Amino acid sequence: MGRLHTVLRVDGVSKRFGATQALDEVSLAVPSGRIVGFLGPNGSGKTTTMRAIMGLVATDQGSITWHGEPITDEMRHRFGYMPAERGMYPKMRVREQLVYFSRLAGSGRVDAENAADHWLARMGLTERADDEVQALSSGNQQRLQLAISLVHEPDLLVLDEPFSGLDPVAVETMKALLVEEVERGVTVLLSSHQLDLVSDVCRDVVIVNRGRVVLDGAVDGIRRRAPTRHVVATVASGDVAAFGVPDPSWEVVGRAEHEVRLRIPSDCDAEEAFAAVAAIGPVVEFAFSAPALSEVFIESVGEVGRS
Amino acid sequence: MTDPSLLVARREVIQRVRRPSFLVITGLLVVLVLAGGVIAAVVDDDSSPSHDVGIVTSGEPGSTDLEDLGFVSALTNLAAADDTDVVTTGFASRSDAEGALAAGRIDVVVDVGARTETWQGSIDDSLGSLVDIAWQASASADAARAAGLNDAQISDILSPEPLAATVIDPDDDDTVGVLVGFASAILLFFSITTFGSYVLTGVVEEKTTGVIEVLLSHVRAHQLMAGKVVGIGAVALVQFAATVAAALVSLRISGIEVPTEIWVGLPATIGWFIGGFLLYSTLFALAGSFVSRMEDAQGAAAPITAAFMIGYILVFTFGSDPTSTVARVLSVLPPFAPLLMPLRMVTGAAAVVDVAVAAVLLVLSVVGMIRLAGSIYARTLLHRGSRLRWRDALRRTESLTG
Repeated sequence: MGRLHTVLRVDGVSKRFGATQALDEVSLAVPSGRIVGFLGPNGSGKTTTMRAIMGLVATDQGSITWHGEPITDEMRHRFGYMPAERGMYPKMRVREQLVYFSRLAGSGRVDAENAADHWLARMGLTERADDEVQALSSGNQQRLQLAISLVHEPDLLVLDEPFSGLDPVAVETMKALLVEEVERGVTVLLSSHQLDLVSDVCRDVVIVNRGRVVLDGAVDGIRRRAPTRHVVATVASGDVAAFGVPDPSWEVVGRAEHEVRLRIPSDCDAEEAFAAVAAIGPVVEFAFSAPALSEVFIESVGEVGRS
Repeated sequence: MTDPSLLVARREVIQRVRRPSFLVITGLLVVLVLAGGVIAAVVDDDSSPSHDVGIVTSGEPGSTDLEDLGFVSALTNLAAADDTDVVTTGFASRSDAEGALAAGRIDVVVDVGARTETWQGSIDDSLGSLVDIAWQASASADAARAAGLNDAQISDILSPEPLAATVIDPDDDDTVGVLVGFASAILLFFSITTFGSYVLTGVVEEKTTGVIEVLLSHVRAHQLMAGKVVGIGAVALVQFAATVAAALVSLRISGIEVPTEIWVGLPATIGWFIGGFLLYSTLFALAGSFVSRMEDAQGAAAPITAAFMIGYILVFTFGSDPTSTVARVLSVLPPFAPLLMPLRMVTGAAAVVDVAVAAVLLVLSVVGMIRLAGSIYARTLLHRGSRLRWRDALRRTESLTG
């Protein structure tokens, strides 16, 4: 990640709303042409951070820069934003809405109209161009919302919970579209409270909890650095119930008639784990994996809580 | 790049004008106002109606030529002096004349020879008195002529030099002015309330739908407010100006005599409308920025609506005496000027200095209000949750979003 040029940098940003410390020295860096996942449970400060990037929230301290410069209105015209609550005029026509937002972002009339038509076609909404937005299904509204954030060909996309409310097929469609945009050179910061949903599109993640960054880095690195590994083994025969762990640092997290699930320290390797479960009987299925992002998160939050 | 405020204003115009309700209400207002003028014109015609008088000439000795009858010439002269249209028709027999009366072709039958007048149904007071006076005049002239007086002497006796009339401190008959003033105050109130509430609900809608966040990522809050107020204001202005134009046409075709001040005062209401709309709708926009739910909108706007309502009540309290000192003072104050000053102008009660002072104060307060509201707006627009109080909003130094 070091060789990649950081375009968006949030540096030590804090924000207090009355008695609530919404952001506590949040820092994150988004490299050019990457999709960075901004993850954390509801109320952890993701939305406030994104609003601060979009200039919708005045921060108490810290800085937010784009290519090393404080963000101006002019720069922000090159950002595309999709708020968590969504935001469209329900009674405005679909195409008009796209043209309107494109023009607000600084496009001329002709460019805005061409861009609107392009995005309508790309989202499969051409036939609905003259319908009111409220007549669209929620999936189509979501697509239109994404088109609004993209219609002025932004350099940075800030997407707050873009996958919430989407069915699995729509999630995949949207991911594919984001990957295409990134190939075009767009940089994306997207938030999600469903941590595992984004781990395949985001190579890098920043995980926040209660206004603080608790983990950040490449997804595979974070998972690899996790202190535990998961083992799932299925045996053809043998007494699973009688199985005992060879070391007190090992933990049986689940048992079935022919299956055993273990959590073991990360310094143990797959061979050791296999040898242990093979003692029960012939192994027919064996899985050894680093924990999912959500599990890493829960563990790290637990540590933060203790410290 | 087009100014964002203009893009916002343009959107508002398109969205409002496209709604059928706008076209229907505007059309209805214009048609109703024009219809008022047409009805007034018709009613006015009825007030100087044409009367048909049937004259039975058979019993009259000598000439049967209608114009030669003393009664007919007296009646014609009287009718001309009274600005009443009287048509006389001669009938050879009384039964013919009464047949025409029964058929409704004439209003009264006068049998000069028999010295009778015959009516159908009831006696028409105005025509009846004309006929009676004409009869007295012609009978007196006949008597005088029989006594040996010549025509000049008879004319001296029957048409003496009238008394020269002088009115000291004449009463102004400004009924029409006051009525037009009330009507324009009602229209101003209606328009500013209606379109002001569009501004209010428009702002709240942008907050409830979340579109405000997308907007504010490209547009500054004060540009958004300016665009909304100007856009909705332009639509309101079209409706208002169309109604005023219809009112001018309506007054012209009605044939009603109107004070000359109306021809200046009525078009000037458009100026008062612009000032009043800008002042109140800016406040409505501000009220909208305090709430996050449509249900709270009216509550937040209550103080503005109340102030405006007081102005409206004042119009009817002091409007009938627009020259009073209280009316004069109130009509200069910006919150009331847009409603009271048009009334004082169309009735001719407003001195030029009153109008000038009121206009300057209104413009100053509009400019001040737009500046103040613009700066508060940026801090309140992203506020969520319960309704902000006006006091808190004025004190806010930072956004409460979260």
